[in-house]
Amino acid sequence: MTKWTFWVGTFVAVAALWGINYSLEEYANPYIVRVIINCGIALILGLSLNLVNGCAGQFSLGHAGFMGIGAYTSILLTTLSNIDFFQSPMGIGWAVVAGGGAAALAGYLVGLPSLRLRGDYLAIVTLGFGEIIRIFFLNMEFIGGARGMPGIPRESNFFWVYLWAAVTFIFMYRLIRSSTGRAILSIRENEIAAEAMGIDVARYKVVAFVISSFFAGIAGGLFAHYQGFIDPSTFNFNRSVEVVIMVVMGGMGSFTGAALGALLVTLLPELLRVFAEYRMVIFSASLVAVMLWRPMGIMGHKEIWHFFKKKGEA
Amino acid sequence: MNSVGHFKVQDLSISFGGLKAVSKFNLELKPMSLTGLIGPNGAGKTTVFNLVTGVYPPDNGTLDLDGSNLNGKEPCQIAKAGIARTFQNIRLCGEMTVLENVMLSYHMKKPYSLLDTLLRTPKFYAQEKKVTEEAMALLKVMKLDSKAQSLSRSLSYGNQRRLEIARALGTSPRVLLLDEPAAGLNSQEKVELMHTIAEIRDKFKVTVLLIEHDMKLVMGICERITVLDHGEVIAEGLPKEIRENKKVIEAYLGVSE
Repeated sequence: MTKWTFWVGTFVAVAALWGINYSLEEYANPYIVRVIINCGIALILGLSLNLVNGCAGQFSLGHAGFMGIGAYTSILLTTLSNIDFFQSPMGIGWAVVAGGGAAALAGYLVGLPSLRLRGDYLAIVTLGFGEIIRIFFLNMEFIGGARGMPGIPRESNFFWVYLWAAVTFIFMYRLIRSSTGRAILSIRENEIAAEAMGIDVARYKVVAFVISSFFAGIAGGLFAHYQGFIDPSTFNFNRSVEVVIMVVMGGMGSFTGAALGALLVTLLPELLRVFAEYRMVIFSASLVAVMLWRPMGIMGHKEIWHFFKKKGEA
Repeated sequence: MNSVGHFKVQDLSISFGGLKAVSKFNLELKPMSLTGLIGPNGAGKTTVFNLVTGVYPPDNGTLDLDGSNLNGKEPCQIAKAGIARTFQNIRLCGEMTVLENVMLSYHMKKPYSLLDTLLRTPKFYAQEKKVTEEAMALLKVMKLDSKAQSLSRSLSYGNQRRLEIARALGTSPRVLLLDEPAAGLNSQEKVELMHTIAEIRDKFKVTVLLIEHDMKLVMGICERITVLDHGEVIAEGLPKEIRENKKVIEAYLGVSE
């Protein structure tokens, strides 16, 4: 792909996003718009967690905590501070990025000591971290405490959410198909061998964790500025589990799989509303069915286009 | 004269609880030499490898590669310093392709930055191409080039062992440690492997230390042999001397009453 086609492609894609955004806001049913945007936020969460849980093979259960840090940091700037810049649409965009930065910093601080642990132990530490964050927000009166934080400017929309989802996907895809990506994958495959081949395993675990937290923070910021209201229970353990389900169901280490998982986990409960009170029963049963039918996730380790190539080519 | 790859181990010791797994182990590998490390099961051979590559921190002893001290370094730093190894129980990245397994060991040379990765700069493509070519050349030496795109877990046992060697060579080592490279191979494959190891030593100018149980292979290619029993060196010398050494025969066959 030449530079020229790349830029034209980017331009067309951004224009298309903007066009869809415009038509959604003008003509679509608000419920549908809400579901579509929730899908976009789920995409960012699923794609980012896939780097840690799927590619690096480190089981993290605290993704909602990083999302919460992103959300609260960004509203701190846009809603609670009196800086004029952060009231403008542009400023809100940067506040969301700052939320991602804060989440990345938290990811670094949490990751450094805890990534020495493995498997179940790491899962418990990250779970604990997520809960600490939630309880912290719950007890901070100036950011609303348990009552939550209303009056957040509702500036994020289809355009911004899907632009970030696309950025996340391209970032992750390019990262994993590189030397650094191979280093991260090798941690999942065989830590001892990776270490013997000169890969600083501890370092790349933290790198994966920080990148993943950054995008979780972005998702949190976008979410807060879409909802216009957040409270600590938004970022509870259930949310973390939901993201893990996306990754496991889609296929560990597959980004198109994580994306598919994100869409399924967000869309299925909505589509099942016709079943009223049986909705979550059917949703859970379908998760069990997927795991029985494909224990490695819908995609396994592969990306979607590998299924369309001829055998032996992949 | 090539002087790189001079490796000295002095007084290396480690105990696990009350068991002295390795005690006062001494070894000197001259540049480009080919040395065998043999001994009965449980003698501590693999433990020596694990100590030398930093998997276990030794209780005692010094490691010296070309004048620089490797004590207390992490395994990845030791790999960077120039010591590469293979594993007795094969440790490949099974879900990665054969080529990717070898390309992995080029990572520590930092071919390009994270920014190059994300922006896909010309440097990224150039370096990626270069690394691919070099890795393919290594696969060719190990006769695995036709399988470059298959998943490494789908390889046959013998090929997996060969891939481990190719991957270790990807780190451009000065010293190559081979842990039972011939285990599980048939006699035809063993003969081929013998030639390959000698070829690697000459081609990559690398010092080789190998653990092996197959005496024909060890006696056939090693210039010097060190014999380990119960964690201690019981003999060291030319293959011919080792074959006639009383202590070695006793260690392997037991003492006659």
